Amino acid sequence: MLRANNSMYIPRLLAFCLVLLALTGCATSTIVLNGTYPAPLVRKIPLTLGVYYPPELRNYAFTETDAETGDKQYLLQIGASQLKLFNTLLPALFDKVVLLDSVQPMPGTGAIDAVFIPAIAEFQLGLPHKTRMQVYEIWMKYDLKLSKTNGEQIADWVMTAYGKAPQESLQLVDSGVQNAAMVAMRDLAASLTLGFAEVPAVKAWLQAGHRNAVTQGYGE
Amino acid sequence: MQCSIRSVIGITLILASLPACTSTHIDQFRQAATSINKGESIVILGRRQNNNYDTDGKFVKCVGATVANGNDRIRVIPEQEFLDAMFPFFEPRTAPVRTAHLKQLMAVSEARQRLKDYGLGYIVWVDGTTRRSGQYGNINCSITPAGGGCFGFNSWQDDSRFEAEVWNLDTLESVGSISTDSNGQSYLPALLLPIPLIAQVEASACSGLGRQLKQFITGKGT
Repeated sequence: MLRANNSMYIPRLLAFCLVLLALTGCATSTIVLNGTYPAPLVRKIPLTLGVYYPPELRNYAFTETDAETGDKQYLLQIGASQLKLFNTLLPALFDKVVLLDSVQPMPGTGAIDAVFIPAIAEFQLGLPHKTRMQVYEIWMKYDLKLSKTNGEQIADWVMTAYGKAPQESLQLVDSGVQNAAMVAMRDLAASLTLGFAEVPAVKAWLQAGHRNAVTQGYGE
Repeated sequence: MQCSIRSVIGITLILASLPACTSTHIDQFRQAATSINKGESIVILGRRQNNNYDTDGKFVKCVGATVANGNDRIRVIPEQEFLDAMFPFFEPRTAPVRTAHLKQLMAVSEARQRLKDYGLGYIVWVDGTTRRSGQYGNINCSITPAGGGCFGFNSWQDDSRFEAEVWNLDTLESVGSISTDSNGQSYLPALLLPIPLIAQVEASACSGLGRQLKQFITGKGT
């Protein structure tokens, strides 16, 4: 009796597994980027910085599609990791950081020297099975803006970040992407830390009105 | 039948425990005398500025473990701990490539103080990778209701080339370098079960480089 039941069960179970496997193969895998970032080892710039994270940055996501079929393969949710990065980096770079709900500070926010608005302009992902290289790669282009509290622009510049991580045997795509993203975001943090005061328009603004703001350039 | 399967598994395990042959060649180039005081430490960092490869973090960790063990051990600061503590000065884009850059870095008071806090005597830069070549052969595995098994043969060559450059943090100069070239042929015959005869090329390079580095820094490798 038990044998008869088993012989009925096994084909059904196999069919169920095959359907499940097919569905899993077609489904889009979601990868939520996360990680922890160290605070930079630099002297703080004596400024109070307002920071506005636009909704496009907060909710930034990237979809990797199959070039041949057009199927969506991976959905990378990036926004939360960006906020975590900037929320670690900026308080270590500036004397005081105030998070803003809009580009222009609301009355009563307090004295703010400038408003910083980061955004991701472009994102590229390189997967080993597509590039035929044994590394995961992430490249990001940021559009960074610094403006006065009245909305007048101080500086608008572009920064790129690149990260690669070697492919390891039996490694999940999620893990490889996370490793590459971590390197890329550290790359951005390093560039912004050492390069912020060196952006020509920012440098001119600092020299014009904030002479106490110490530049943090390499070797200075 | 049961006896023959046991025999095959037994022979497989015996063969798998035999490593394939590996040869390692180490060269040392010394530019200045070295020594390390009690309480001083070193850090071993992987070079990650190359377009084609990254120095494997596991290899760097392995060299660090070799240097930090034994009777003549040296205190080694873990690579990731150091990179986080010195952020952003040792990232792939910002790390000093030459000792002139190290001198510039030492002009940043925060960085200089952090290095002093660590009691760091030397920075060791490890650069290199392991390449696989000459892969040939084929193994087929099949499963049938009566059982399963693999049949065939596979072989490849691994070549590990690494160089460690040592920077003295007192003089801010390079004091020398050690290079290692390790290669070996691995075999994977399969008769019912695959029998891996793997050449431990990277492990051999790590062990050789680590031991030589320890002698070099303590001044015994002159």
